[in-house]
Amino acid sequence: MADLVERLGQRFPGRREQIEQLVELLGAADEPAPGCVFVYGPSATGKTAVVRALFGEYGREGRRHAVVSGVECFTVRLLFERVLNAWAGHVPTAAGRYGNYARCDTVVDFVNGARALLQGRGGEAHYIVVDQAERLRDRGATLLAALARLRELAGANVAVVLLSTVVWDKFRPRHGGAPDPHAVFFPYYSKEQVLAIIARDCPADEPERFFLTFVDAVYEVFHRNCVDLNELRHLVALLYPKFVQPVYERQAARSEFPRLFKLCQPYFAAASERLYLREISSGEWLKHSAVASAATAPEDVTLAIHRMADAGDALDLPYYTKFLLIAAFLASYNPTRLDAQYFARGPQQGAGGRRGRRRGPAPKDATGGGSRQQLLGPRAFAIERMLAIFYSIIAEPVDSSVDVQIQIASLITLRLLSRASAGDRLDGVKCKCNVGLETIRAISRSVRFEVDRFLYDFS
Amino acid sequence: MPVRKSLSGAADEAVSEAVSEAVSEAVVRSVRKTVLGRLHGHAAVPELVGLEGPVAAVAALLRQTVAGGEGNSALVLGPRGSGKSAVVGRALEMLEAQHGGETAAAAAYHVVRLSGFVHTTDRAALRDIARQLLITQDLENVLVGSFADAFTYILGLLRAPSAEAALPPVVFVLDEFDLLAQHPKQSLLYTLFDIAQSQQTPIAVVGLTARIDVMDLLEKRVKSRFSHRQIHVHPPPTLEAFVQIARSALCVDAAAAAVPAAFARRFNARVDEILAAAPVARHIEAIFDLAKDVRQLLRLFVPAVAALRPDDPLLAPARVQASVARDAAPAKAQVLASISLLELCLVIAMRSLVQGGSSRYNFEMVYNEYKTFMSRHMVAVSAGGAMKIYKKPVALKAFETLVELEIVRPALPASTAAEGAAGGGTHGRNDMLAGTVAGARVPKEYRMVQLMLEPGQVADLVAARVDIPTIVRRWAQ
Repeated sequence: MADLVERLGQRFPGRREQIEQLVELLGAADEPAPGCVFVYGPSATGKTAVVRALFGEYGREGRRHAVVSGVECFTVRLLFERVLNAWAGHVPTAAGRYGNYARCDTVVDFVNGARALLQGRGGEAHYIVVDQAERLRDRGATLLAALARLRELAGANVAVVLLSTVVWDKFRPRHGGAPDPHAVFFPYYSKEQVLAIIARDCPADEPERFFLTFVDAVYEVFHRNCVDLNELRHLVALLYPKFVQPVYERQAARSEFPRLFKLCQPYFAAASERLYLREISSGEWLKHSAVASAATAPEDVTLAIHRMADAGDALDLPYYTKFLLIAAFLASYNPTRLDAQYFARGPQQGAGGRRGRRRGPAPKDATGGGSRQQLLGPRAFAIERMLAIFYSIIAEPVDSSVDVQIQIASLITLRLLSRASAGDRLDGVKCKCNVGLETIRAISRSVRFEVDRFLYDFS
Repeated sequence: MPVRKSLSGAADEAVSEAVSEAVSEAVVRSVRKTVLGRLHGHAAVPELVGLEGPVAAVAALLRQTVAGGEGNSALVLGPRGSGKSAVVGRALEMLEAQHGGETAAAAAYHVVRLSGFVHTTDRAALRDIARQLLITQDLENVLVGSFADAFTYILGLLRAPSAEAALPPVVFVLDEFDLLAQHPKQSLLYTLFDIAQSQQTPIAVVGLTARIDVMDLLEKRVKSRFSHRQIHVHPPPTLEAFVQIARSALCVDAAAAAVPAAFARRFNARVDEILAAAPVARHIEAIFDLAKDVRQLLRLFVPAVAALRPDDPLLAPARVQASVARDAAPAKAQVLASISLLELCLVIAMRSLVQGGSSRYNFEMVYNEYKTFMSRHMVAVSAGGAMKIYKKPVALKAFETLVELEIVRPALPASTAAEGAAGGGTHGRNDMLAGTVAGARVPKEYRMVQLMLEPGQVADLVAARVDIPTIVRRWAQ
């Protein structure tokens, strides 16, 4: 037992205490097992990895266990049949027409199947590990209670290990049937632990101390908005090659950290956020990013990064459709009562004459800052209103061959507009605009339209 | 405390024995197995503290059925973890000692256990009753008829084929009785109570439930056939009785467990020592004051018992104290203790929205609040050091981490909120990301959410952090 903790503790830095707790709780195979163990903690804290490794070791000892996922098992039948298959050592094969060990549609079938299976096994402990256990809450009101009391119900030595990112408070069934389980908490890794783990990613031909200094710097920059270990590893893996590049080009020595950081600066400034948000995929990054070297000007690097990130989201719509989308945005966010002020073309003004904010009052925070339409989200509007705005904001008369209705339909298909009225209604159709302000600004720029002049109470 | 007395009595006899330090592997194994079995609920605690009355009542009722051929029905009521199952289990043990046979088939009576968690329909229950009564006949054509007919047919099969003798008595134990009562038409309960009352067959029906108002769930025709006998199981009334339960579960009996008497005495002395020590005793008192939950109490000792080894065969106080400390730590605060600064700022922003009077808000409002605060204090911040306003997508990603942890949950629309409070309710998945709730057509930035923390909890959370700028700290106050 002690050497198991030792072995796993070496594999998972910083998780020794949790491993010890788990090993103690689960005990030896022939001893009474705890009814239910609840492993919880934020994501990327090693819950699944540790539990899987532990049960891998148990599997080598010959303990029967089933590892299932709450997401994969979207019906209770899948969950139960997989568990029984694993316990019985049954593998569905083509010869057996991929049949399962036993058919379990309901909890009764499962409990009876488990009882029958385990009766001849002499009290040896059997385990169920459920990953993403929070999904089990959707599989019927009594499933969790039944699992938590499986030992009692099946009269066998069974332990259920639940893994989740959510605390047990959110699991407790309404009728209170599940006793509180033994809880094992996996906290976020501390800085030292993060460094110890990422140190294992250190490329074989790089000096580890040099690598860790870099990781340390990345951690200091990012831990304020993200403490997720996986995100940090992602960033380190993508940014480190850029950081050491000047060393191989003999433009800087490994000891010159400030200089290296200076050379790497454009990447940190422009790319890290986009990489973090996956606006640039790692594949793109590896293939297309500019080679980091002192020879490349920082402006070029920034430009290249911008180009990479923007290539994807430029909405390539036809000219009039862009105006339609802008009109939809305005109809969604501007109050109806101000339409006349913003969009009406009086007889005294020619087409494209004075309009917009100079006449509109547009007081900031007139409605109270908290409930501005910008914060509340798009409002449903009648298609007719959108069309009126469309014909008002478009400078030249629209060619009659342009079929506006088809364009509206295709915007709905693209999910840029969403229909707010019933789908079978032909008149009085209402829509919402699903596009954000940034995208609308980009589209407006592409058709040389100043959208900001028409926006009421935006900041 | 009868158990202790008998134990110390046994120890006195063995006083002449040399107290050997080393304990054999086999002894430690057996101790570990016995005590863990009790802690995990595999075996009953040897002494049911304060439950003698209910045990006697249930045992008498079962005896009347098995020995006297009476039909009986009763409900065992008591809060969760108060020992209802233990009471019935002990009564059944006593019954078995008197009337049991070598095998289940040879016994003079049958026991059928049903649970509201498992038997969610009356059909499933019926099928399982047949299985538990060891009936192997194919019942498919019987089960199509009415429930009562099928049930009497199944009971009829119990009759010994040779004689025209009376049917053997059957004891029905109905766990989670309130859930069984929620089956449509309650035909299972009706049939059981009807047979128990009309004396066709000697059966005893014992229902277990934590719902005190369970009688209101029964239909009139079911209620009228029930004997209205209720046996109440109360949680331990005093702290001493509560501690005694733990002692009874942890102590080993030299006679029963094949343990050397001297070792048993040392072991039990250590148990007393641990139960009396300050942090453990205080935590037990807290559990007693809050919930009187016996299972929570026993859970504390599992790590210490599991760690017993031949070279360290007594419970280690340090391990018990560590598990007490873990048990006392609030789970939600633990999870939140090390979220990133940005996530913390969003939580504080939500709190100030709540204090501003809005009960529902979306990400845009939260971000707006965050941005307003940050830009107002930008001057002070830039003097203080590295703190910047994060862009909206970065903040959204942090916000989604909070959603994943269910610190932030989608707010129900005002109409369904009242419904959800009344009954049913949406208990399941956090639907903000899945986008299946009503209003999911709205982009996710605009979906209304609620913070699942009290303002006081946020203040505690911030107070516990050491690594945050003063400006944020002041914002949270």
